[in-house]
Amino acid sequence: MLRIDRLTKNYGKFPALKGLSLEVPDGALHGFVGPNGAGKTTTMRILATLMPPTSGTAYVDGTDVTREGQKARKQVGYMPDFFGVYDSLTCREYLDFYARCYRIGATERKRMGSQLLELVQLQDKENEYVDALSRGMKQRLCLARSLIHDPKLLILDEPASGMDPRARAEMKGILRTLREMGKTVLISSHILPELSEMCDSLTILDHGELVFSGTVDELSDRMNGNAPLDIRLAETAGAEAVEEAVRCLREMPYITEILQEEPFLLRVRLEGGEDVCMAAMRELVTRNIPVCDFHRAPMNLEKVFMEVTQDDA
Amino acid sequence: MMLNPILSFSAIRRMRSFRTMLIVIAYVTALLLAALTMLSGFIRDDLYLNMMQRGPLCHALLLAAQFLMLVLIAPAMTSGSIAGERERQTLDLLLVTNTGSFRIVAGKILESFALLALLIVCALPVQCLCLMTGGVTILQILIGTLFLLAVALACSAVGVFCSSVCRSTVVSGVMSYIVLLLIGAVTMLPFVFGYPQRITDVVYDAARYAELTPEGARAMLPKLLYLNPGFGLLCLIQGQLHVLTDLLTGRGWGRIYCTWLMMDRADCEVIAVICAGGLILLSAVLAGAAALLIRRRTRAAKQ
Repeated sequence: MLRIDRLTKNYGKFPALKGLSLEVPDGALHGFVGPNGAGKTTTMRILATLMPPTSGTAYVDGTDVTREGQKARKQVGYMPDFFGVYDSLTCREYLDFYARCYRIGATERKRMGSQLLELVQLQDKENEYVDALSRGMKQRLCLARSLIHDPKLLILDEPASGMDPRARAEMKGILRTLREMGKTVLISSHILPELSEMCDSLTILDHGELVFSGTVDELSDRMNGNAPLDIRLAETAGAEAVEEAVRCLREMPYITEILQEEPFLLRVRLEGGEDVCMAAMRELVTRNIPVCDFHRAPMNLEKVFMEVTQDDA
Repeated sequence: MMLNPILSFSAIRRMRSFRTMLIVIAYVTALLLAALTMLSGFIRDDLYLNMMQRGPLCHALLLAAQFLMLVLIAPAMTSGSIAGERERQTLDLLLVTNTGSFRIVAGKILESFALLALLIVCALPVQCLCLMTGGVTILQILIGTLFLLAVALACSAVGVFCSSVCRSTVVSGVMSYIVLLLIGAVTMLPFVFGYPQRITDVVYDAARYAELTPEGARAMLPKLLYLNPGFGLLCLIQGQLHVLTDLLTGRGWGRIYCTWLMMDRADCEVIAVICAGGLILLSAVLAGAAALLIRRRTRAAKQ
């Protein structure tokens, strides 16, 4: 559905995107994650035909968005991170206005308007003025607007930003429904856990470069390989055992960092894979250090995000 | 064919605003009071006017008043048309639709023009009061209205053009007034620097002047003048009153005097109609330029 090929964008001398390549399959809910200034919005604006790239191309269902703007706009629905609404228009008129902008006929406009208001749970607000809606409702209405021409690809730039937890939950529900409807959704956020719950796959950008692209499980697997070791010692052994364990670990050449997280819990970073872990454990046991728990520290997605974009942090 | 959605929905929003009604009432009331004051003889009598002269004078002054009000109102109304969309962050939502840039700009211009046209049409009955005294024909009123409509369109186009260039509504408003002044000044340049000597030659040669046809006279006037809204207004006033030539006779204002005589010969109303055409053409050019700029300015926006 979406293929991005070596996309580059420079703002003057500042490179916002550095040869981004990416593919999103049909019907996928793809998360676009990165810290502020990573290039997410730039990529999305290029895909929405609002901005030409410096070089590279992007195809939506085979249409080159950089050359065939009009054709691409029919296939792309775009919801920006910040947007305003028109005063003195009701929700129904608001949708009708954008439907007319997409040159949709009267019958179809009416049908789509009703369906979309129902989808975003605003059917009871149909005749209320848009500027009187809450922020969450405006976000949902804007989502309905981006769907008014039945696009194949939906680009949502931080759709849940500034929403309260209830509104976020409602937005997630709507996105799940969209996935069930078979829409391909590209959704950005700088909060990785928020996306991981609903996305099939993720792309992490940092400083305009692709850091990771794959499924959430692949990301977790990759990061778990680098996760620190948590070593818990028996409390009955006393503080001497902890000192002995630290001394022992310092002698191991592959240990890079030792942190005492709790009185009897040591967090250890090491260079190497499973064999190094096994060697460390064997050494501790051989020296009669009372280890009662030894495992890789679980990496939650927040940590993964910080880890992946650690240079920026 | 589907009506331009920008036009129809902006009109809906504008007509729901209380301010629009106030503008219409204020505009018509001001003109009505001016017309009644003039017609009821409250003006000074040292202008040796009789009733037959009072009608044309009233009509000419109403035209001038409307012209001034349009030039003042239009930029203020249109300065936020595109810049306001940028400020409200609704422009991107429009640009990602299948509505082309030109259609967006045309919608904005026509929406503003529609309100100005409403003002002009609402003021028509006031203009028609001048018919009561005689000396003014319905055709003159219609030509005057056509000219004012063209001025309204041109002012709207200038406002929308500036609005597509500027990021802020305030800057766009100021720029609109400056651009209008510049249009007035630049189109007067041939009059100041490249004034055709042949006009003076013809005017001061009684035989050649007598033989001069209206078409010939129109051909001799500098073409750029036809894009000057002020020139069009002067033509209408001269066509109504024929006082401008009298005022200048023997005062040594050679070029202006000769031009007035040429205007008389060329048929003032026809020149006003040509001016209206010129202003419509200018509006189309400005609309095209605005359509080109609207996307470039958006593209230039940083992350």
